[in-house]
Amino acid sequence: MKIFADSALSFISERPDVQDRRRAWSSFQEAGLPTTSDEVWRYAPLNDLSLDDFTVNSFPTEHNDSEFASQLCERAGLVVRVVDGFCVDAGSAPDGVRVEVVENASSVSGTSMLKRYESDTFALLNNALTPATTVVSIGDGVNVEKPIVIVNSTSGSSSFSSTQIKLGRSSSATVVEYFEGGADALVAPLSEYEIGDNASLQLITYQRLSQSAWHVARTSGFLHRDARLRQAVIGIGGHYNRSRNDAEMLDLGAENELRTTFLGSGSQVHDFRTHQFHKAPRTRSTLLSKGAVADESRSVYTGLIEIEKGAKRTDARQTNHNLLLSPHAHADSVPNLDIRENDVVCAHASSVGPLDELQRWYLESRGVTRSDAERLMIQGFFYEMLTTLPHELAALVEQDVTSALALVNVVAP
Amino acid sequence: MSSTLVIEGLRVEVAGKEVLKGFDLSMKSGEVHVIMGPNGSGKSTLAHALSGRPGYKVLGGSVVLDGVELLGLSPTERARHGLFLAMQHPMEVPGVRPIDLLIAAGADAANLRKRMSDEAQRVELRTDVLDRFVNVDLSGGERKRAEMVQLGILRPKFAMLDEIDSGLDVDALGAVARRLSSATTEWNCGVLAITHFRRLLQELTPTKIHVMTDGRVVATGGPELSEILERDGYEPFRHAKS
Repeated sequence: MKIFADSALSFISERPDVQDRRRAWSSFQEAGLPTTSDEVWRYAPLNDLSLDDFTVNSFPTEHNDSEFASQLCERAGLVVRVVDGFCVDAGSAPDGVRVEVVENASSVSGTSMLKRYESDTFALLNNALTPATTVVSIGDGVNVEKPIVIVNSTSGSSSFSSTQIKLGRSSSATVVEYFEGGADALVAPLSEYEIGDNASLQLITYQRLSQSAWHVARTSGFLHRDARLRQAVIGIGGHYNRSRNDAEMLDLGAENELRTTFLGSGSQVHDFRTHQFHKAPRTRSTLLSKGAVADESRSVYTGLIEIEKGAKRTDARQTNHNLLLSPHAHADSVPNLDIRENDVVCAHASSVGPLDELQRWYLESRGVTRSDAERLMIQGFFYEMLTTLPHELAALVEQDVTSALALVNVVAP
Repeated sequence: MSSTLVIEGLRVEVAGKEVLKGFDLSMKSGEVHVIMGPNGSGKSTLAHALSGRPGYKVLGGSVVLDGVELLGLSPTERARHGLFLAMQHPMEVPGVRPIDLLIAAGADAANLRKRMSDEAQRVELRTDVLDRFVNVDLSGGERKRAEMVQLGILRPKFAMLDEIDSGLDVDALGAVARRLSSATTEWNCGVLAITHFRRLLQELTPTKIHVMTDGRVVATGGPELSEILERDGYEPFRHAKS
């Protein structure tokens, strides 16, 4: 691990908070990279991963927005640009919104980052190697009308971006975190969302990295009283695409809706993990995870609903559907429940199978060809994820998803 | 331009059981044919088999539309030759919008959204339904009206309507029947309506009524046939041909 370690240590030595980073780095070294004998990593193609294929950048490389990124930015009220983990443009924030670049940020959970992520190897790497945390804060009572777009691109061989979005009391905003680039790179972003009392965050995480990227992402939402987090996660790129999306319902009435989806093609592996943690009474979580795997791609969905003793009248629902688009593709679904309170409603459902034959016939009986019918149904899988987005944003993302889908082979199993 | 649909000796098996046992029917453009029959007589099987629904196995017979044998064709090709099925329980297709379905089905994209709205108004369907996903969260009545919107856009040569009146209130039934009735003059559409209620016939004047029991047509006649059915039920017809 000489090449990567040398560049990492050289990067760390140039940063102002060198002590904290060294601690994170040594925690990472002690833990080491995971292996497939670790249950939570058993589906990852870790044999293909060598950190010495990557180096840590001391400064951001040149980057130009893709056409899609430009279109996204045209629809935004605020654009923040992050290249190789460095915030290169904080944009001009509208009233009530602040963008800061913070070295040595604490976790919004209230502890240090190191404490929060001590058992997560890639998060520790992020703690040690992120250039800084980009913090977007929305003031109490502020309703941000136009979407905030964070364009997160990777041109170098690694990116450890750290992002925090904080909503003050009774505020609301729509935020898009968009990821692109990342050819042959390691992209390990870490995002945290703090949603204040009665605030509402609508979030879309759209991952369109290169098919050769290693993407290991983690997001965590912290929801206060009557707070709402509606998050859509769409993963298309990556050689290995791991996305862990957690939410903690900390206080009465907090509500989390999470929709995650992925499209697998070639020999990709999509690895989705979720953890809805209910810590207070009358909290709700609704999770819909859908994915489609084509060619020889594989996917795994592992979701945990955890309900703490005393979180009475919690309502937690988890649904996972997987589409097999080729006889050589494979999907696993692993729902888990950890419930320590009796007075709750909790449900989960999962399925793995090919496209619904009768729905396809219905379309065909109108004169739609089989391949168009399948294409429409697969697109529909993703479009469903976007229904809560503002219309013009949804239309743009749909168009982009459609262009990605056009490249995928569908073989009826 | 006049088209013909000729069904001869059609035998169809569903789940290992022969349900259609030699069904015959012949009709032309602009005509309205009504198939009536008790539950289990094979009416819906006919509609599904003609549209090539998976699981419906054709054992014999032929279905010829303007000289083209449909039975060897895919459901898509049958539809493209001009056969349309309005279903009893139209399926929900999550994530697919009506306009995308219609474009993929070959509808002219010019002014399509406007034409869809016009069609929706003709059957008193709320137009916001057109922007939702196909049939998702629609009531039974809304689904049937939505099928009429597709019919109005796709303008098939022959429209089959499977139990179009079930689950419809009187107003909705009237709207659907009037739409079908005008289709027969607007583009000379042939209508093959499957029902076991007479109500439909008050708005949609049939050219011919066919009584079906046990997988085949046992009587064919004019509107007077429905009066006999109303009075005596299906019992007199049950052994008519055996």
